[in-house]
Amino acid sequence: MSLISSIIPALNRTAAPTTAKLATGDFAPTIKPAYELSETADGFALTVYLPGVEHAGLEFKADAENLSVIARRTWKTPAAWTSLYRESDTASYELTLSHENIVDLDKVQAELRDGVLRVALVKSESVKPRQIKVT
Amino acid sequence: MTLVRYAYPNIRPLNTFARTLSPWAGLESEIDRLFQSTRGGVAGATATRRVPVDLYEDKDNTYVRAELPGVNREDINIELVDGYLSIAATRKNKTADREESVSLTRSVSVPDAAVQADKITAAYENGILTVTLPKREEAKPRKVTVAVK
Repeated sequence: MSLISSIIPALNRTAAPTTAKLATGDFAPTIKPAYELSETADGFALTVYLPGVEHAGLEFKADAENLSVIARRTWKTPAAWTSLYRESDTASYELTLSHENIVDLDKVQAELRDGVLRVALVKSESVKPRQIKVT
Repeated sequence: MTLVRYAYPNIRPLNTFARTLSPWAGLESEIDRLFQSTRGGVAGATATRRVPVDLYEDKDNTYVRAELPGVNREDINIELVDGYLSIAATRKNKTADREESVSLTRSVSVPDAAVQADKITAAYENGILTVTLPKREEAKPRKVTVAVK
């Protein structure tokens, strides 16, 4: 085995879990929520559809590279209910978007209402187009 | 041969933050999509226009739970016609410069004879609509004790 590993160095590597999952210690499968991202005059508008998620189950983090959303559904099927047909998933939602430091993290505004997370992202000053005066 | 459920195509821009991403962004999102499509059959709201529905029952009621994120309560319309429970909703998205509305519809077959149509109730919470359909007395499971002589 060690011979094979020495020939193929990739075998020695272990898969690196995403940082968002490491933080929570939760390795359960997640699903990627539907989301929309559009560019506005001074930034981006992000809409993430998270049906069944309350404020308590939502974790929204922003760092210099990524925006990450982890959302857990709070509703549990009552014990007396029998499921007849399922289309939805009970797994948590996870979405990570890389913004490569073009977003001003001090001005991120987010609102969760009726299962929709709306985030307003403002572009950082360094990436905004600047008028350069030619003398 | 196995049946593979149709995965709804994702509505997503070609790359998330245009222009500033790495040259591999297109490939990355393509690989993302590939892996996601293997779970596409079970994934919740992979596309924004789909209305996933769950059906449950207990002793007295049948429950229909539909995922309808971001809809106002007054824009939800529920009708029971000819044994079909139809849910129609309009999502209104307002941005600074434009307003768009998306209509979402879904109908579920409900046995007419088993439901007390005048006692249907619905609740909307956190983007999930729960419709409670009370069962008729005759549709409930009956327990008959037979005395043995």
